[in-house]
Amino acid sequence: MNALLNIIKNFPRYLWSGWGAVSSIFLFITLWEFGFQQYGELVLPSPKNTFHTLWTMLHTDNIMQDVLITVKRAIWGFVISAGLGSFLGMLAGLFVTASIMSRPIITILMGMPPIAWIVLAMIWFGTGDNTVIFTVVVASFPIVFVGALQGSRTLEGDLKDMSDSFKAPLLMKFTDVYFPHIFSYIFPAWIAALGMSWKIVVMAELLSTPDGIGAALAVTRSHLDTAGALALVTIMIGFLLFIEYVFMEPIKREVEQWRD
Amino acid sequence: MNESNVENSSEKSLPGHIKSATKHYDNYPQGNFHPLLAYAFRPLFILLPAYIAISIILWGFIWSGSLNIPFMTNIMAWHIYEMMFGVASAGIIGFILTAVPEMYDGVTPVTGKTVLGITALWLLGRIAFWMVDIIGIYTVAAIHIPLLLWVTVLVARPVLGDPLQRNVSLALMFLAIVVLQCWFFASMAGLVTSDFMSILKVSLGAFMVLELLVLRRIATEAINELLEQDNIDDTFIARPPAYNIAIFTVLLFTIIEFFYPQNTMLAWLGFAAAAAILNTLNDYFLDDSNIVFKPFVYPLMLILIFMAAGYGMMGFDYLYDDLYGINHFRHFLTTGVFGLSFLMVMIIVGTIHTGRELHSDKWINLSIALIVIATLIRTCIPFMPDHSMTMYTASALIWAIPFIIYLVRFYPLLSQPRADGLPG
Repeated sequence: MNALLNIIKNFPRYLWSGWGAVSSIFLFITLWEFGFQQYGELVLPSPKNTFHTLWTMLHTDNIMQDVLITVKRAIWGFVISAGLGSFLGMLAGLFVTASIMSRPIITILMGMPPIAWIVLAMIWFGTGDNTVIFTVVVASFPIVFVGALQGSRTLEGDLKDMSDSFKAPLLMKFTDVYFPHIFSYIFPAWIAALGMSWKIVVMAELLSTPDGIGAALAVTRSHLDTAGALALVTIMIGFLLFIEYVFMEPIKREVEQWRD
Repeated sequence: MNESNVENSSEKSLPGHIKSATKHYDNYPQGNFHPLLAYAFRPLFILLPAYIAISIILWGFIWSGSLNIPFMTNIMAWHIYEMMFGVASAGIIGFILTAVPEMYDGVTPVTGKTVLGITALWLLGRIAFWMVDIIGIYTVAAIHIPLLLWVTVLVARPVLGDPLQRNVSLALMFLAIVVLQCWFFASMAGLVTSDFMSILKVSLGAFMVLELLVLRRIATEAINELLEQDNIDDTFIARPPAYNIAIFTVLLFTIIEFFYPQNTMLAWLGFAAAAAILNTLNDYFLDDSNIVFKPFVYPLMLILIFMAAGYGMMGFDYLYDDLYGINHFRHFLTTGVFGLSFLMVMIIVGTIHTGRELHSDKWINLSIALIVIATLIRTCIPFMPDHSMTMYTASALIWAIPFIIYLVRFYPLLSQPRADGLPG
């Protein structure tokens, strides 16, 4: 509860600290504008035109429905892979044998290109939500698994011994000794998995579903509507930035305060 | 600078909060100087507000047609030039010649005849400016250019001699401004083909970079002093990386504006600069105490906010073709940033360096409010074109009032010996 209050209390200041990132993003958009001026509207539409298209899309088309469908799929995929990966990874980390055995499997999972998973998933599940969610899970799961595994493998024995000698209650041991350490490994893995989910969901939708942002991207491609495609990409990046920096980062800062 | 020093300076007798502004007394030259010549800021900070008030009236007459000075048929260019190289330079000279002896041990403050010479040259420069059509551009250049060059030479030795190279960027920016001044004169005289308005825009960018460099130093010094004075156990640190990003974006904006005027890239660069400048405000949010609304802190923040607003609104203008307000929005940087920084520097230096405690009062708050109002009126002209003439006049008059208030209130302080009995 205190952590939540702290997050809320520090939120305005945290939000203001984002101006540096905003500046970098605008510098990147300047580079984009330069690219447009060099190669023209068809190859790389101007940022202004793209944002205008985005604005029109948000107000006229049913794009918000597609966005919600994609967000739902990405979130589901992310939640399943984060839950499953964290649990199994921590569990595997507790046993040396399990750690050694899981390693080649993870290598196989990470080495398998997501596009191959999409093909398999389309055969197994047909076209629809399940294909997309499965692909997201299978692509993001190894990232979280490795993070959780490393977190539990690297727990410091000295700290455990100390908490044992002080006869700390189990809950306190978990919240004050194990959790902060494991979290510092799992959280970056979650963020990486979230980024991966976002990328995979669009790719899977593009190939396997009739709805969602990915499907809308396929339509813009067939119409050679580069501005529309970039507008859709902007929506995805906007959502990703929003979730990562407005939700994830404040939690990370609060939980990882012990590192300071 | 002079080498002879006053022995046994009496720092111990000073109030704690102004100790940091008394380093130079170890090196203050011997001799009895008239109070007006005891430090460079003294005569300059009397003449500057007086000149601002007089020039506002004169410009009012010129724009209304009551006074006919053709200014080589380029009234606007010369008006901008004078507000930067005439008005702004006095503020910066007053500040830099006071700050350098504080920044470096062993630097002797400029006093006596040198102060008289610098002040006379600045004053002569103002008179020459208004007579440019009679005496010619070369005479004006011959009077104007040596002033900043002289000051650059005076501060270059300690700054460049510092093994830590802490303030080399300041010296380089000073030199860049001198070069830009020469370039402007060369352009007006037809010696180079560069567009003089573009040179003035570059100059404004250079002045903004100088502002950021100076502001970082002033904020660190002044705010920590105020924290100590109020017994607040916190430290203010103006973090260089944030200022470096801001300086980088402002420089990029300035360079692109010169080489590719009207390019849409400037819109995004304007936004980038605005965001980077707002990012520097993070330093003002301390961990354990709220200092944002403290006297002398909020005006420093306002300077940065105006600078961000200036670049942000210019970016907005470059993005929307049907909005013709860029030169009005540029006044966030001149009316706003210049106005507030001159006023704050004059108040802080004029108080501390005349041996008094730094304190705020209703006049200071009123003056800050008037500059804010003047800036908002001036920059809102594009949105209310029907009232433009009234707004021009109101903005100019309101902007001049704080400087008149300063002159009346600070003349006794600046023209009399230090309150604590120290020299300088």
